[in-house]
Amino acid sequence: MRLFRELMWFFRLEKKSYSMGIFVLLLVALINLFPPYAVGVIVDGVGKRNMTEGILFKWSLLLLSATLLVYGLRYAWRLTIFGASSRLGRLLRKQLFEHFTRLSPQFYQQHRTGDLMAHATNDIQAIEMTAGVGVLTLVDSLTTGSLVVFSMAYFISWKLTLITLLPMPLMAWSTSYYGTLLHKRFHKAQAAFSDLNNKVLENISGVRVVRAFGEEEAEKKAFRTLSADVVEKNFAVAKVDALFEPTIQLIIGISFFLAISFGAKEVVNGSLSFGQLTQFTIYLGAFIWPMLAFGWLFNILERGRASYDRVNTLLTIKHEIVERDGVTDRVPSGEVAYQGASFTYPGAHKLVLKEIDVAVKPGQTLGIVGKTGSGKTTFFRMLMREFDLSKGDLRIGGNSIYNVTLGALRSSIGYVPQDNFLFSTLIAQNIAFGKPEATLEEIKAVAEIAAIHQDILRFEEQYGTMVGDRGVTLSGGQKQRISIARALLLKPEILILDDSLSAVDAKTEKTILQGLKETRTQKTTLISSHRLSAVEHADLIIVLHNGIIIERGSHAELMIIEGWYASTYRSQQLESLLEGGGA
Amino acid sequence: MVIRRLLRYLKPHYKALSIASMVLVFATFADVIGPILVKIFLDRHLVPRSFDQQALWLLGGGYLGLHFLSVGLHYYQLVSFNRIALKVIQALRVDVFKHVQRLGLVVFDKTPTGALVSRITNDTEAIKELFVGVLAALVQNFVFLIGVFIAMFSLDVRLATFCLALLPAILGLMVVYRGVSTKVYRIMRKELSRLNSKLNESIQGMNIVQAMRQEKRFKEEFAGINNAYYQSNMTNIRLESLFVRPAVDVIYTFALVLVLNFFGIQSLQGPIQIGVLYAFINYLDRFFEPVNMMMQRLSQFQQSLVAAERVFELLDDRRLTRAVNDVGAASILDGQIEFKNVSFSYDGGQDVLKNVSFTAYSGQTVALVGHTGSGKSTVANLLMRFYSVTRGEILIDSVPLTEFSEDELRTKVGLVAQDPFLFVGNIAKNISLSRPTVSEKQVGEAASFVQADEFILKLPQGFEEPIGERGATLSSGQRQLICFARTIAGNPKILVLDEATASVDTETEEAIKTALEKMRQGRTTIAIAHRLSTIQDADLILVLHSGIIVERGRHAELLRTEGLYHKMFMMQQGTL
Repeated sequence: MRLFRELMWFFRLEKKSYSMGIFVLLLVALINLFPPYAVGVIVDGVGKRNMTEGILFKWSLLLLSATLLVYGLRYAWRLTIFGASSRLGRLLRKQLFEHFTRLSPQFYQQHRTGDLMAHATNDIQAIEMTAGVGVLTLVDSLTTGSLVVFSMAYFISWKLTLITLLPMPLMAWSTSYYGTLLHKRFHKAQAAFSDLNNKVLENISGVRVVRAFGEEEAEKKAFRTLSADVVEKNFAVAKVDALFEPTIQLIIGISFFLAISFGAKEVVNGSLSFGQLTQFTIYLGAFIWPMLAFGWLFNILERGRASYDRVNTLLTIKHEIVERDGVTDRVPSGEVAYQGASFTYPGAHKLVLKEIDVAVKPGQTLGIVGKTGSGKTTFFRMLMREFDLSKGDLRIGGNSIYNVTLGALRSSIGYVPQDNFLFSTLIAQNIAFGKPEATLEEIKAVAEIAAIHQDILRFEEQYGTMVGDRGVTLSGGQKQRISIARALLLKPEILILDDSLSAVDAKTEKTILQGLKETRTQKTTLISSHRLSAVEHADLIIVLHNGIIIERGSHAELMIIEGWYASTYRSQQLESLLEGGGA
Repeated sequence: MVIRRLLRYLKPHYKALSIASMVLVFATFADVIGPILVKIFLDRHLVPRSFDQQALWLLGGGYLGLHFLSVGLHYYQLVSFNRIALKVIQALRVDVFKHVQRLGLVVFDKTPTGALVSRITNDTEAIKELFVGVLAALVQNFVFLIGVFIAMFSLDVRLATFCLALLPAILGLMVVYRGVSTKVYRIMRKELSRLNSKLNESIQGMNIVQAMRQEKRFKEEFAGINNAYYQSNMTNIRLESLFVRPAVDVIYTFALVLVLNFFGIQSLQGPIQIGVLYAFINYLDRFFEPVNMMMQRLSQFQQSLVAAERVFELLDDRRLTRAVNDVGAASILDGQIEFKNVSFSYDGGQDVLKNVSFTAYSGQTVALVGHTGSGKSTVANLLMRFYSVTRGEILIDSVPLTEFSEDELRTKVGLVAQDPFLFVGNIAKNISLSRPTVSEKQVGEAASFVQADEFILKLPQGFEEPIGERGATLSSGQRQLICFARTIAGNPKILVLDEATASVDTETEEAIKTALEKMRQGRTTIAIAHRLSTIQDADLILVLHSGIIVERGRHAELLRTEGLYHKMFMMQQGTL
């Protein structure tokens, strides 16, 4: 019930729908008391043989109109209450999505996509269920239940009502007992199923080993054992699950028996008419549903609460990057300068960047090289404010990046990430991602610089080709080049290529670098790469090692130092020779 | 079609199914007789006020007895149907799993792992609902209907005939509902999957969205899809409100009015049996409960069918591994391997191996080198018979590879794969696998042969040390050593090492090197090498480039020719 309190904000928001819906629901419960009464009247008329055609016609008509009225009303409350709960789902999904767009990359590293998806779909569905079926069940079972009991007691006989309801507590007790039992067994069944799932996953991902050692039979045997276990655990669930219906049937049957035998006595006494007895049994039948529903309600609430808690936890996560007061939204430009920049990832002790001092003037290119884990990507993340520096400052055109808005900072930067993620839409739309209003001419122009134009022309639909599952499968190199074009279209003050030439061949790399040189005059370009040929032309190259700059200078200068850069450069030259077949 | 195929799985449970159905019939009849007893009580005792003690006890006892019996039988019946459904699903699951074990590796290359797992577990689980929910309900309702009608006919033929007219009305409602709901349901699924993929894509590409400041556009796009899903949801709610429970209730009331009028009009002409009226009203009430249930199960039924279709699609996948040869009598004695003009293509288009020919004599080591994509792993895949040769022939001891039985090939040819794959279990089990020929003693010997026993015995539980998913608790070098022991425990005649040194760490590097040398002794070895230092003593080194052998010879010879191998070697030495 706590969940209903927590959802109060929404009920208030949808005040009209809920009050309307509940009002209609109550109306339906009231009208539904009428048909048994009408039946009672007709049966009495038939029994006492004082029935006339007129009476029969009148009551039949009333009965039918009541039903049609109820049909309409039921349609109405379903639409209002279930509609409102669907709107809750829509609202929560929207809130969650908007929240997602504000969370930092750190958040996405800590949470798996699958889990986030589950929160936005399954959990929200469970909450929707509470706000819809949950509310309905609560209102309906309470009102129908009490109205039915009231009618039986008030209109017919309170003594008889008391007697017939005698076995009902037993039903409440047993269903709740089964519920706990079921809960436990269900968990075991889930665990068994998950074991089976893992086995299959292992088998399929290790298929080569399984085949090489002829393990198929053993695997089949293991699978059979596990799936037999699933059957056993599920059967244990079924055994309890199957208890519900017969138990309810049993108790209702006893109630009926009590109603008939004690009711008959009253009929003999003359304190009850025959029609009333019939009416009473129909009421009794109407009492089954509320009893059942109440047990069900707890189930819905339990699931809904767990889900709501999970979604709420997500929604309350704070974004780590905040803007200072009084920041300007002027897009920064000018010299990029790291000044004593140091950084430690939150929760870690190790410095990933240590006292980095480096500056690049507009029109210049900075190359950043070093082994995996040396801090290259972190270097860029500081500039884009995916994280904030632990110490030192970062300036663009002499102004600290912490003095401009996030939006302004990001619009000065064009970023091509390591993992080039494309969206499943048209190629043209992917390139125009950051500037949807771009013309096809603009798109083609940047595609040419990124050396992807020719590739695109070879597709049947050219720039109108779909990317992804439903379209073409692009090679890694093609994806990288499209991401480069995507960043270039923004004509950013600062262009960041984060090892984004790794999958293109040497010749194409050269073409792209040449194109960048020609078009990006007066703009800053930062390139990190494993392959040193990509930074050879840079005005300044820094070599990072464990977050420290260990070598710096132009290509020629670094080759003279004979350090890490020079030796790596030579061995890479060779490697590329080999890939070409040694020619 | 799908339904018929699913029903075929019921065949082995024919007996259990008949018993359960019989019990259901009895239970239903017990149910049906209840109101008749009440009718007798009302007509013979209550109305004429004749309360014969003995008869009343009999009636009351009979009613309660029948009720208890019916409750008991119902429980038995419910449990039986569940058991049958679970068994059917298990059989289906085992069938799918078995089939997957026979599928060619092509299928695994092309299908995402998640999709295959989902076919075997989740989709079969969805079919379960069909058997548990729908089948039992169908049988039960059918039996119940017959029971109710027999009772009605025995009470009053004319009225029962009227009631029979209800059936087409209900069936019609079902047909219409199913027709419309299928469409609406499909739209809803489509919208949901759009919502899911938008969400998935946005989460995965959020850094790009943020870096390019497209948050607003994405919020709007998501809101649009979110709203479309909401609209489809509303359509569904509208449809269910129109057709399901409220509509069935309307039909019920019409039936009720019909019965009441029938008796009412009769009562105008003469006295009627009031008990019969009571019984009819009661039957009508009971008749509509299962109808409501069936209507609600219809959408579930739809989902199960879709799942079943997917499962059968996988079961019908004919891309099997080459017909398993169980009768092949040829055996591998010397372990001489010969590739004769072997060409191979994964997709039937581009050849990844072109005219590869070489011979590895008994006990020799042949090494394959080349960069990624040169085709060297394909050689191993073909020798392991994971794929069939496109053109040319592979011979072992001068017998075509296809002539060997699966058993012979798997015992005599041992593979060490690139990725040291461990099963969940313990270390000993990972070394012995299910092979009956590998005793506990041999497990220990194999481990000490590859020097894996040193680290194994240091573990808290030694050979019994449990291994979790993917052996995450061990280093990659340790995992590789266990894989070595696993291969060597089978004492193969031929050894295929697919970049076996790819997973070393500084701690195990020495151990792996020595182990490899020892393993190769007395065995014909095909070694696919990344590090040239590990194969310098090979009897023959083949240098592959784009599927063609471009250089061949011994280490010293190849160095002298100063070709590709020479360059690779110098580069790895770091001396050039």
